[in-house]
Amino acid sequence: MIQRHFSIALVGLILGLLLVLQFRTANQQEPAVPGDRAHELTVELKALTTERAGLESVARDLEGKLARARLGYVQAEETIKAQIREAAVLAGMTRVAGPGVRVIITSRTGATPPGAIFAVRDEDLLKLVNELRAAEAEALSINGQRLISTSAIRLAGSHINVNLQRITPPYEILAIGDPIALRNSLEIKGGLVETMRDWGMDVTIETQNRIVIPPFKRPLVYDYTEPVAEASH
Amino acid sequence: MRLGILMAGIGLVLGVAVGLHLPLVFPQAYGKYIGLAMLAALDSVFGGVRASMEDRFDNAIFLSGFFANALLAAGLVFVGDRLGVELYTAAIVAFGVRLFQNLGVIRRRLLKK
Repeated sequence: MIQRHFSIALVGLILGLLLVLQFRTANQQEPAVPGDRAHELTVELKALTTERAGLESVARDLEGKLARARLGYVQAEETIKAQIREAAVLAGMTRVAGPGVRVIITSRTGATPPGAIFAVRDEDLLKLVNELRAAEAEALSINGQRLISTSAIRLAGSHINVNLQRITPPYEILAIGDPIALRNSLEIKGGLVETMRDWGMDVTIETQNRIVIPPFKRPLVYDYTEPVAEASH
Repeated sequence: MRLGILMAGIGLVLGVAVGLHLPLVFPQAYGKYIGLAMLAALDSVFGGVRASMEDRFDNAIFLSGFFANALLAAGLVFVGDRLGVELYTAAIVAFGVRLFQNLGVIRRRLLKK
């Protein structure tokens, strides 16, 4: 009889076992996430994933813009550098080369040459430079002294100073510009060079395909001048 | 014929004692299965006690009934989870109804003696 009922005890044992274990499980673990909560979280996850994808595309877009901006920055820097180079050329701070004329003026040699009335004076050089500038010479130098916007040519004692530097004969004027126009402006009939030759100076004019003119060698500093913003109209 | 009740009580006490000394914890996901297994065991125990009171207890019927019911209930839970329909409520209702029926019979028998 007892043996036959042993299976009831067995099932009872299983029941007790399951009861205790499940009781422990339910107490030890966090309550399971309810189904609707799980659904809610899934929806939220999906929304956040979409949002993340959107933000990533925005980030890519912005990175592209940043790269373009950097590129623009580099280009702007290049432009500024180019402008600085150009300004340096215009200001006469760089060695420049180009077609032009070479003018050499000397007082006629010999102690009292027959035709020599005057020695070369500062005014002669000034007039020559003026003539060349009128013929749109872009760069000028006298005996290696670059002529810039502040250059002066003046007589100092028995010498001529250019850029406050003493220069000695023979005087060599280099000019970059249209060689034919420069030459014609000097050699025009009744013009300056004819007059100078009449006064007994030797003036040689050579047109050259490539003339190299040195830069202005001293620092160019304005102590008194400052830029003024242009009045808007 | 209180032997059935006695055996069931002994089994239950033993099971609780063993369970308290086992460091086992079920995964949370199996909660439904454990619950239904408990219901099946409870149903079988009540059924067994009733049968033994009526003197028609059969070991084979008892054990096969316990396992077959437990398996069917587990199958319902499994299929229900896959389909998204809570089919296991059928097992819960069936077990519950039988539990109270058996309890009623056992009660009457105990009172009539």
